[in-house]
Amino acid sequence: MHRSLIASFALYSAALLLTLFTLAPLVWLVLMSISSPNDLTSVPLNWWPTEVDLSRYGHLVDLNNGAGHRFLAALRNSLLTAGGATLIALIVAVPAAYAFSRRGASLALLFVFLATIMMPPITYVLPLYEIFGGLGALNKTTTLIIVYSAMLLPFATWLMKSNIDVLPVEIEQAAFMEGASTAFTLRRVVLPLALPAIAATCMLSFLVAWDEFFYALIFTSDLSAKTLPVAIADFSAGRVTDYGVIASVGVLATLPPAILAICFQRFIVSGLAAGSVKG
Amino acid sequence: MTNNLQKKERTAVSSNPILAVENLSKSYGDLRILKDVSVAIEAGDFLVLVGPSGCGKSTLLGCIGGLTEITSGNIQIDGQDVTHTDPAKRDIAMVFQSYALFPNMSVGDNIGFGLEVRKVPKTERDEKVNQVAELLKIEPLLDRAPAQLSGGQRQRVAMGRALVRDPKLFLFDEPLSNLDAKLRVTMRTEIKRLHQRLNASIIYVTHDQIEAMTLATKIVVMKDGVIQQVGSPREIYDTPANIFVADFMGSPAMNILDADVTMDGLMARVEIAREDGQEPLILYDTNPGEGITSRPAGPLKVGLRPEALTDLGSRSVNADQQFDCLLDVVEPAGSDTFAVIRLGGTEVTARMHGDVDVNSGDTVPICFDLTKISYFDPKSGERL
Repeated sequence: MHRSLIASFALYSAALLLTLFTLAPLVWLVLMSISSPNDLTSVPLNWWPTEVDLSRYGHLVDLNNGAGHRFLAALRNSLLTAGGATLIALIVAVPAAYAFSRRGASLALLFVFLATIMMPPITYVLPLYEIFGGLGALNKTTTLIIVYSAMLLPFATWLMKSNIDVLPVEIEQAAFMEGASTAFTLRRVVLPLALPAIAATCMLSFLVAWDEFFYALIFTSDLSAKTLPVAIADFSAGRVTDYGVIASVGVLATLPPAILAICFQRFIVSGLAAGSVKG
Repeated sequence: MTNNLQKKERTAVSSNPILAVENLSKSYGDLRILKDVSVAIEAGDFLVLVGPSGCGKSTLLGCIGGLTEITSGNIQIDGQDVTHTDPAKRDIAMVFQSYALFPNMSVGDNIGFGLEVRKVPKTERDEKVNQVAELLKIEPLLDRAPAQLSGGQRQRVAMGRALVRDPKLFLFDEPLSNLDAKLRVTMRTEIKRLHQRLNASIIYVTHDQIEAMTLATKIVVMKDGVIQQVGSPREIYDTPANIFVADFMGSPAMNILDADVTMDGLMARVEIAREDGQEPLILYDTNPGEGITSRPAGPLKVGLRPEALTDLGSRSVNADQQFDCLLDVVEPAGSDTFAVIRLGGTEVTARMHGDVDVNSGDTVPICFDLTKISYFDPKSGERL
C-alpha cells in the first residue's frame, strides 16, 4: 500500500515518540548506574556522565567487602519465588483453563477467581500475616511462592482460557475419535498448539511476581527471603542514598526478565496452528 | 489384512446391523435439530446422509461419533449400546471436513496417532503407517508437516489416520467439500475404490447429491431434521418419496409440473397445460401404479426427469408421445444439451443429445417418456 509523505512522517514521528517514551527511563537508569556520585549530585545535573564508573557493579557482586551478599541473596530469592510461583500457576492454570474453555466449567467461577485480584492487596495482607504468623511461616520463600501463586492463578487461567478458546476444536475431537484420553490429548495435542500462549502467560506471570513489592515487604524480614524489589528499597534506606547503586541494582534486576523474554520470543509466533485445518 | 477380512466376514454374516440409530432426537433449547431419526446399516454398507445445509446431517454424524450429546433415543454399534459412551471407546474413525490434522506432528505421526494412543510398539506402528501410506500413495510425504501439504494431500492423510487401525465404522463429514472440482472427482473415485477394497462400513455426510449418488449403497435424504427417504441410489432417483427428494436429488433437478390426471382404460391420461392458448399436451402413462388407478381424477403434481424429455435421436421411446415444443434456452453441456421449455406453468428441462443441432427459439419435436413418471399429492407433496 502506498502512503503519502505526510502520513509516513506522522507515522514515524509517532513511532519515535513512543520509543523515546518507553526507552528514556531505561536509558536514564543505565546512565545513572555508570555516573560518578559527583555527576549525580551536581547542580545543574550532568545528564551525560563525565566518566564511566563501573565500580558499583563490582561492589554489588563483590562477596567479600561489598554488597554482594545482600544483592545475590535477593537475586536468588527473587528467582526462586517468581520462578516457583509461575511454575505452580501454569501447572494449575492449564488444566483449569481447559475445563473452562471446553468442558463447560462454570464461567461464574472464573469471574469469582478474577474478582480476587481486583481487590487491593492491602485487604489481604493482615489476615494473611495472621495466618502465616500463626503457622510460623513468615520470612520464608515458600510463603511468598504460595501467595504469588494465588495472585497469578486467576490471571493465568483467564489468559490461557482465551487462548484455548481460539484453537480449532475439531483437532481435539479428532484426537478423542482416535481413542485418546483427555490427559493424552492435552499433553500431545493441546499443549503443543498452545505453546505461544503458554510462553506469553509464563512471561507475564513471571514479571508480575518478579516486580511484586508489597507482600514481599510485609512478609519478609531478612536476607533469607527478601526479594530484589525489597532489597532495592533497602539500598536507598541508608544514611546516605547513592542513587547510582539503586540504579545499578535496577539494571541488574531488569536482566532476568529481559533474558526470559528474549528466550521465549521464538515461541511467541503466530500461525503455529497453520496447516491443521483448511488452508 | 487377512485377519481384517475374516473379521469383516464374521460381522457380515451376523444379523446385527453394524450401526442402529433408534428414535434419536437432538434439541438445543427449543430448537429441535433432529426429530425422531431412525436408521440402520449392515456391515460393508456405504451410507450417505444427504440434504441441504442445516438439515441436521452433520449433527447426526456428531451424535453417532459421540461428539454431540443426544437428547433422546439410542445408538448401537455392532450390537452394543453406545448412547452414552465416550467417542474414544466407540471404535470408530472420523474424517473431518477441515481434516483436523495435528499441526505439531509429522504426517507419519498423524496417521499413527491412534496406534500410539493404543500403545502399539513403534516398529509395528511404522509398518502399519507405511502400509496405509502405500495404499493412499502418500509414502514420500510421511516426514512432512501438515502445513507443507496441499489440500488433496491433507485429505489423504486424514483418511490414512482413519484407515490405519481398522475401526468398526468410518464417519466422513463432507470430506471433499474443501477440494477443487477436479480433485473432488478424483478423490470420490478413490474413496469408492477404498470402500470396495476394504469392504468397510462407512457413513458419509455430504450436501452434494452427485457424491451421494455415486458413492452410496444406501442414501438417507434429510430435511429439517427429519428423514425424507432411505433407499438405494436407484430407488431414490427413480421413485422419490416426495417432491423435496425429487427436486433435491438429480442434476438438473426433476421437472415437477401441474397436470390433470384421469384414467383412460388401463392407462393414465396426463394433461399438461401449455402457454399462449396452445393445445394442452396429452400424455399417456401405460403402466400407472396403484396410487393413481384407485384415485379419483383431478389435478396432481407429476415429476419427469430431464432425460424423459428428449429429442428424437435413437432412444427407445414411444414415438406417439411426441410434441413440438419451443426451446426457450439451449445450454450445450458437451455430452448432453439441455433445453428449457415452458410447460404446465413452469420451466422444465429437457435433456437432448450432445450433438443435436438446435438453438434457443427453435421449435423442435420432443419425445416424452412416461415409464418412470412420478405422481405427487399436490397438497402434501408425498408420492402417490
